[in-house]
Amino acid sequence: MGVFDGAIIYANLLVLLSIGLTMTYITTSVPNFAQGSFAVFGSYISFTLFKLLKIHPYFSLPISFILGGLLGILTYLTVLRPLINKGASVVILMIATLAWDLILFGFIGIFSEYIGKITKSYATKFIFTPFDFKLFGLNGIFFVSMAVIILLLLFLFILLYKTKFGIALRASMENPNLAEVMGINVEYTRVFSWFLSGALAGIAGSLLPFKQEIVQSTGAMIIVSIFAASIVGGLGSIYGALLGGYLIGLSESLITFYLSKLFGTGVLVYSKVIPLIFLIITLLFIPQGLSSIKWERWRKLICLRA
Amino acid sequence: MFEGIVVSILLWFGMYLLVTLSLNIEYGYGGIPNFGLALAVLMGAITVGGIVNRVIISIFSVNAITFTAASGFAKSAMDELISSNPMYGIALLILILVISALIGGTVGAVFILPSAKLRSDYLAITLLAISEVMFMIVYYNTDIVGGYYGAPTPNILAFIPGEDRDVVFTILILLIAFIIFIFVERLINSPYGRLLRAMREDEDVMRSFGKDIMKIRIKTMAIGSAIASIGGALYSLYAGNVIGIINLSARINWTFFPFLMVLLGGMGNNKGVTLGTLTFVTIWRLIDIYKHEIAKTFNLPFDVNWLQYIIFGVLMIIILYYRPEGILKEKPIKTEPIKEFENKVKSSKPA
Repeated sequence: MGVFDGAIIYANLLVLLSIGLTMTYITTSVPNFAQGSFAVFGSYISFTLFKLLKIHPYFSLPISFILGGLLGILTYLTVLRPLINKGASVVILMIATLAWDLILFGFIGIFSEYIGKITKSYATKFIFTPFDFKLFGLNGIFFVSMAVIILLLLFLFILLYKTKFGIALRASMENPNLAEVMGINVEYTRVFSWFLSGALAGIAGSLLPFKQEIVQSTGAMIIVSIFAASIVGGLGSIYGALLGGYLIGLSESLITFYLSKLFGTGVLVYSKVIPLIFLIITLLFIPQGLSSIKWERWRKLICLRA
Repeated sequence: MFEGIVVSILLWFGMYLLVTLSLNIEYGYGGIPNFGLALAVLMGAITVGGIVNRVIISIFSVNAITFTAASGFAKSAMDELISSNPMYGIALLILILVISALIGGTVGAVFILPSAKLRSDYLAITLLAISEVMFMIVYYNTDIVGGYYGAPTPNILAFIPGEDRDVVFTILILLIAFIIFIFVERLINSPYGRLLRAMREDEDVMRSFGKDIMKIRIKTMAIGSAIASIGGALYSLYAGNVIGIINLSARINWTFFPFLMVLLGGMGNNKGVTLGTLTFVTIWRLIDIYKHEIAKTFNLPFDVNWLQYIIFGVLMIIILYYRPEGILKEKPIKTEPIKEFENKVKSSKPA
């Protein structure tokens, strides 16, 4: 895998995760610390289907989509909604998602040991790269992740902008009270956003083993990047998540790579410092994220200067 | 066996009490959602493994290929010295406590600076992210404090026979925890403590009274982190290696569990938090000690550790839902004027 295609693949998957995180933040105002574990859940679904039923991970994507979505709904209905209805503060809700993350981590651990015993293989660490195809000298995951992200974005766009449901969804994201007055069931859109968040994370999780090795704690390791991507984009906008996902995904891989060329491979340890720096700079200087910048104004300024 | 269990529970109780008291100052009283609590504990481990070890290495001019190996040689040289004269051990302990408190306090004060511009949810995310990344760095870079190879730490009780070490260490830790508890109690019952609660309830009112919120926050985080750092240093000394803190489950052990204990016992109430810590540690130690028996009895085909994560995650959600105020509720502070007022009300009531 080359450096550039590797960076693009990683960024594609990060975009899926950060869009999910942003969607649930918009509808329920909960930063979900379990997003990383949602992805690992997807990875294990594909791994299990591959080991038990010999379904190639690429073909198990629809199943990860649906099961991931159900996990998202489960998270919302069993953990968050009861607390929200009791008027819990945002910090309490965040602690609840941390607890949920720990529960998922426990289940992932149990499942990985269990499935390892059933299939008599090593399931606490796995990678799909050997099962990938090659095309034009590139790994198949490059094309698959590209296709998946284009299709999903198209699907999201049509859903949000071309259907009545999408209009209702956007209305309840913008102003839930007003939407409710207009007869929109806001609760429904919340459940749907959690479904979509889990489903996108499931897909990202199924594809991630083609890029890097999955271990039980992978979720905890990628969570910083996911949050950085969403916050750099501005947590309040799906476009922002898209922008932030690519910015963080590409810079995390590429900057680390160039620095390692300059200073040696010891730098690789510090790869997660890059999303952290982006996150802190964004919060200090543009707390509403990239999507809040009025690009028009800058363009006008530049035009005036010229 | 029974004695061993009690010692293990008390030891962990004392160790965790330092961390939970620190979280209680920050989150329970001050309302600062410190999701990066583990970072303060890490500072204690770095003090012992990274700073004190380096000093000892240079004093004995140890030469070794890796930092882990050098720490090992330094440890055995230091242990020999301590066993010849206990004063060295005691001096080293005091030195470590002071340095870890200073480093923890400084890092805590710097760590909270982004909060000047952030809302509580963004702040919590930022603190968690900083702490996660720091852990990844010290874990994968083996030159700082040994990383995943760990770094042996000197045995400050080398003058005591090995079979008594745990008991003496437990007494030592309980003593330190008791001193800190008294300190925190007095701190919270001072005007500063009331200021802290007021900040948690309403920052705008505080501002309108001319209080500098940032100053209080920095002070709070400095004190809190100093205490948590002492906890981390003591644990590194007890375990004989920093690997117990510097590993990839640090977020669970040193951030999530303390939050669970504080919420279980009762936020903003030191007695409640003490009770919560004791309750949690008892359950947690018993599961850990009997995990092989549990696995055998229920014929579990997996490590009981995983089950433990699920149990504690579920417990947390249950507490948040059914009893967010914890076992012991927060009580209003009884200052002298309030006591006087209450007495007046009582005496003025017709019998």
